[in-house]
Amino acid sequence: MGFLVTDLFKKYGEKVVVDHLSFRMDEPGVYALLGTNGAGKTTSIRMILNMLAKDGGTVEWNGAPLTLRNCNVGYLAEERGLYPKNTLMDQLLYFAALRGVSKSEAKKRIEYWAERLEATEYLYPKQEGKKPVKPKKADQLSKGNQQKIQFMLALLSDPELLILDEPLSGLDPVNTDLFKSIIHEEIEKGKYLIMSSHQMATIEEFCTDLTILNRSKTVLQGNLADIKKSYGRINLFIKAEQNLKPEIEAAGITILNEVGFSYQCRVTGEAQANSLLKTLVEKGIILITFELREPSLHEIFVEKVGDVHEE
Amino acid sequence: MKNNTGGTGTVFRYTVQQHYKTTSVRILIIILFALSVASIPLLRLIAGKDSEVSSSDIKSLYLYNNTGFEITKDDITADERYASITVNASDGDKDALRQTLHDDKTAVAAFITGDEEGMSFRIQGYYGEGSDISEKDCETLNHVLQDALHQSIMRTMNVSQEQIDTMNLNVFSQVSTVDDYLKGDDQVVDPSTHMTVNLFYSYAIVLISALAMSYIFQQCMEEKVSKLVESLLVSVSPAALLTGKILAVTLFVFGGIALIAVGFVISYFIAKSTGDVSFLPETFTKTFGIDTSALHFNPGTVVLMLLCILLAYFILAFFSGIVGSCCSKTEDTQQASIAVVLFLLIGYYVASFTPMMQSDTVNYFVSLFPVTSIFTALPNYICGKITLLIFVLALVIQAATVYLFAKLAGAVYRMMLLYRGGFPKPAQLIRMLRENRSSAKAGAGKEG
Repeated sequence: MGFLVTDLFKKYGEKVVVDHLSFRMDEPGVYALLGTNGAGKTTSIRMILNMLAKDGGTVEWNGAPLTLRNCNVGYLAEERGLYPKNTLMDQLLYFAALRGVSKSEAKKRIEYWAERLEATEYLYPKQEGKKPVKPKKADQLSKGNQQKIQFMLALLSDPELLILDEPLSGLDPVNTDLFKSIIHEEIEKGKYLIMSSHQMATIEEFCTDLTILNRSKTVLQGNLADIKKSYGRINLFIKAEQNLKPEIEAAGITILNEVGFSYQCRVTGEAQANSLLKTLVEKGIILITFELREPSLHEIFVEKVGDVHEE
Repeated sequence: MKNNTGGTGTVFRYTVQQHYKTTSVRILIIILFALSVASIPLLRLIAGKDSEVSSSDIKSLYLYNNTGFEITKDDITADERYASITVNASDGDKDALRQTLHDDKTAVAAFITGDEEGMSFRIQGYYGEGSDISEKDCETLNHVLQDALHQSIMRTMNVSQEQIDTMNLNVFSQVSTVDDYLKGDDQVVDPSTHMTVNLFYSYAIVLISALAMSYIFQQCMEEKVSKLVESLLVSVSPAALLTGKILAVTLFVFGGIALIAVGFVISYFIAKSTGDVSFLPETFTKTFGIDTSALHFNPGTVVLMLLCILLAYFILAFFSGIVGSCCSKTEDTQQASIAVVLFLLIGYYVASFTPMMQSDTVNYFVSLFPVTSIFTALPNYICGKITLLIFVLALVIQAATVYLFAKLAGAVYRMMLLYRGGFPKPAQLIRMLRENRSSAKAGAGKEG
């Protein structure tokens, strides 16, 4: 059972764009595909969905090759749009019909999602005065509101597998929270989610497992908690009411960032941090914060791909 | 992605629905229908057949004729509308006539004069101020006088109408082998008729295809331009998407043609119920001047013609689909149009020039070669230039071409949906297709 990608491979001419990508999801949850721009995330997703011919590898859903007949997939693509001159309702009903959803059921689902995504006013415009109501067209909506309709298109078929490529890009904070709450709901419903994003905080909030790609190759893969654990708690945050720089440097600890008497440091391990703490206590220094943390996904990502490409 | 054509019907219905929802399309349909309904009455008006009255109010005519060709009362009263008219000779005094026409509200005058060189004649009709006679009635009388003048000229020169008709007969020439003659198969269509039939048919194909081309380009690019491709491809296969769209365009084009045809039929009945339509076949024959006697034309040929037009349409529609799929932006359609226009021009020129060669080998070759077959096979068969067997073979080749083009269009459309580069050159397109095919085989091999 579950979702399995094995040895996915793609090249254009001599250039390898996805180099033997493998990962699996044995149970519902969120899997993150991360990588720098051009690392091969979108190409991998397109191959997973059979939009692009594979040069090698397999994609299985519940033990059989994934096709749109044996797996109900919802996809929010990174490159997204709508028919600009067609009414929103026509487009939603069209997509629902293509997914085999009956018209009456589609109307119910559209009504539900319109309310949930706060898009009722665009799909069911109210009559103002004596002017006849004209259904809204896509080009009459802002980018954020168009994104709500696109998200609806992905959710209309009530998919088992939901693939979200940069789902929150371009949204304002209010709509970001709205989208996040819906993603949480889908996770709670027991859906399989594959998410690709450059917003590491978002990924950390949702995902359990991940793959980081760099220039077509897998550079890191596994359970996020385990990965973090493997790095150990090496980030030390100290805040005091006096200058601690001499003590920190004397303990052989690297200061990464210093703002006033707040220090962000990198330690080799818990022993080195404890040794510093002991010294500071012995000297009677009053500490406001002394916290040892695991590295963030952002730091792991930057370390693995060697460059900052996010947000 | 679905591997079958599931969703074709949904794509077709949606595309048709959205097309006919567009206001400009609705207006265009109304205009086309109105024009076709008005066409025959308009044609009659232009041909001057509506400028005559069916009965006249003119009681007397004052006729001045200085041409030297006598026009008698009988010449005028021979026309039923003027059977009871009184004809008075006039001395050409216009001042005297003015008073006469003022006093007699049912009288008119006509002056028939010739120029000094005797090269032309002029007929001028007059009616009085406040007369009961309509201008149209006067014009009708002028036409009658014109015919009477011609009759008078012919009488004077001892020439009969029959002699004139004989002189104006069309002359069709033909050359056939003595073997054909002995076989009794010498009733061959002359090259001029062959060319006219070819041109007429090719023109129809070019017109239909040109109409479809722009629609198909637009349909092929629509999802790319609106960035909907990826969202759509998880719901429907590219083959189903393209097929649904091409079928929808087929409905737009042939629906439009059918509407115009219905308009013409209505127009014909309107024209028939309000006047004479006998001028139509005459106008047609005069315009095209073809000898239809040797054409293999019967109700069965009409069915064959519809089949041939459909095959030609689908070949050109799928070819437009192939080149239209290579367009990523509106500017690319310029290059795509050139490819389709070249295809059409080759066929059109071959259809225009091969009749002049009068070669059976050429006729057989162009009827069987897929690019030219759609323009020439049917005209060649109708004109008796190819046998029924060759014609059937040509149709089979055309049907196979439709199938191959449909498959190729599906493959190119699928491959190019996610392509965002410039319009590819043919060699580049072939290379991409090969790479894509080997990728598909590699993928299928692993999964299989």
